[in-house]
Amino acid sequence: MLIRCLLVEKEGQGSGDHQVTAVIQTQNLSKWYGNVLGLNDVTLEIEAGITGILGPNGAGKSTFLKLITGQIKSNIGSVTIDGQRVWNNFSLFSKIGFCPEQDSFFEEMTGWQFLTSLLRLYHFSTAEIEEKADKALEIVELTEDKHRAVRSYSRGMRQRLKVAQSIAHDPAIIILDEPLNGLDPLGRRKIIRLIKEYKGEGRTIVVSSHVLPEIEAMTNQIILIHQGKIFAQGDIHYIRDLIETHPHIISIKCSDPRQLAQKFIQHDFVLKVNFDQKKGSLLVETNNRDKFFGLLPVLFVENRIEVEEITSPDDNLQAVFDYLIGK
Amino acid sequence: MTIKERGYTHWDGELRDGRFPWWPITRMGIKLTFKRRFFKLFFGLTLMPALVWLVGIYISERLEDFKFMMEGETDFLNVNPLYFKTYFTNEFLLFMVVMIMVFSGAGLISDDLRHNALQLYFARPLKKRDYLTGKAAVIFFFLLILTLVPGVVFILFKMIFAGNFQFFVSYPWLILSVVAYSLLLTTFFAFYTLLMSSVGKNRRYVSILIFGVYFFSDIFSAIFREIFRSQYFFLLSIKTNLQQIGAVLFRQRTPFNIPWFYSLLVIVAICLFAAYLLKRKVRGVEIIK
Repeated sequence: MLIRCLLVEKEGQGSGDHQVTAVIQTQNLSKWYGNVLGLNDVTLEIEAGITGILGPNGAGKSTFLKLITGQIKSNIGSVTIDGQRVWNNFSLFSKIGFCPEQDSFFEEMTGWQFLTSLLRLYHFSTAEIEEKADKALEIVELTEDKHRAVRSYSRGMRQRLKVAQSIAHDPAIIILDEPLNGLDPLGRRKIIRLIKEYKGEGRTIVVSSHVLPEIEAMTNQIILIHQGKIFAQGDIHYIRDLIETHPHIISIKCSDPRQLAQKFIQHDFVLKVNFDQKKGSLLVETNNRDKFFGLLPVLFVENRIEVEEITSPDDNLQAVFDYLIGK
Repeated sequence: MTIKERGYTHWDGELRDGRFPWWPITRMGIKLTFKRRFFKLFFGLTLMPALVWLVGIYISERLEDFKFMMEGETDFLNVNPLYFKTYFTNEFLLFMVVMIMVFSGAGLISDDLRHNALQLYFARPLKKRDYLTGKAAVIFFFLLILTLVPGVVFILFKMIFAGNFQFFVSYPWLILSVVAYSLLLTTFFAFYTLLMSSVGKNRRYVSILIFGVYFFSDIFSAIFREIFRSQYFFLLSIKTNLQQIGAVLFRQRTPFNIPWFYSLLVIVAICLFAAYLLKRKVRGVEIIK
């Protein structure tokens, strides 16, 4: 099932001077590796602002990003940026910044040397290179550590340096492949803030992730990708609503699961209750998480039930995908 | 008509096309090589043969002054094409060339593969051809210092020490031989080293490969020659093929009894094979999960 959400648009106040056209366009884009289908018939448009590419591991996110950055060639279809074909259009790469998922560093270099050596590939003058490198390091808050070898950088610093190399040449389009991977909460906040600041400058930013809240923290515009297919594109709230209304299973380990089950079953938003004998937990299926989690503490307190653990086994992206594709 | 809320700021950068897009790659490669431990000392040592040959040229012009040192034969001090051929095809120089490749060439591509750096390069305005040219230019830089530069310096100093242009008049083609052999040797080792460097991600493994393939080609050549009693097994040896072509370019007798163009064919075939494999191995990272 292909769900296309409506793009949230606001009616303009003027006569349409600021009409936005798609920056990145793909037409029937397909890529396969031998028998493995990486991407299947993807036709979409990405406009200025932040767009989140959301999908579980192996969904085709990185393949899609590598295709739109012109690093690999599609088997079928085309990608254009500002109306120009991307593949083999090397001068166009000056306006693209790419942050790869994997670590890509020359470990023996310092952060500053790493950035300047990459900036040289854009044919800037030495003064420009130094200025741009310093600016990028300042943006990602690595100025103090710029003369340390990359090999001594922490995970978060490496991730920020990767982002720095993608923004240092001041690109119009920034492609970030899982930029928040492996970061601690503080590191995440820094990168998210940075991405949002860049959006404010009118750039086009494409960020991939397999974690919904990460994307949610950055943008409303998302593209859902699964098994190489795009099956939802649009406003994240619509996707959120789908998640909110789809039946959820919540597992509760407590001192008296039978009594709790008895109380739950009286409510119409509880669809089913089950006992997991092995784990000794109660499994409750609900179609309204808000009401459920509103009631839960009340029941615990009123019935003096002690809670050991509350988990939501299907509250993950895979569950959302399974639901959306009607599994 | 619906109007989107977001504003688009037009990019005011330039789509630049540099004249030498490969130069930053070369520059970085040379810089990183000189940063390697002991490399400067080693590189200095590789220039020792050139210094010895240069001293030989000086002595050849002052034989009377150095008579007290000479006992008997002084033919080896005759500065002629053979003198040049001896410098360019001597085993010690070829050994030094291979060692320079181990130092400066082993990590050229393998380090990029190890660091996943190809995706950083190819997300920038850099063609695969520019990338490979940049890497090859690092090898050209070091090997031409070891071959072309001494060759030209020998000719110049021969004329300076002699105080006339007689040498140049006698062998006007020699400068072309020096250029041709230097380029051939350098081109071959550029392809050879880049191929080896693209084989693995481990620099040490690649170093062993560069060294091993060169020397084992010689050893296998000798073994097969002994077993099959055929001179054609000289073609298995990289060193022998280079020496054969060197002799022809300096208009000397070939050291081995096989047609020289067979050696040329072997060298060209290795280069073409390397170019084909490099084209396949150096590419954007593909993701298969």
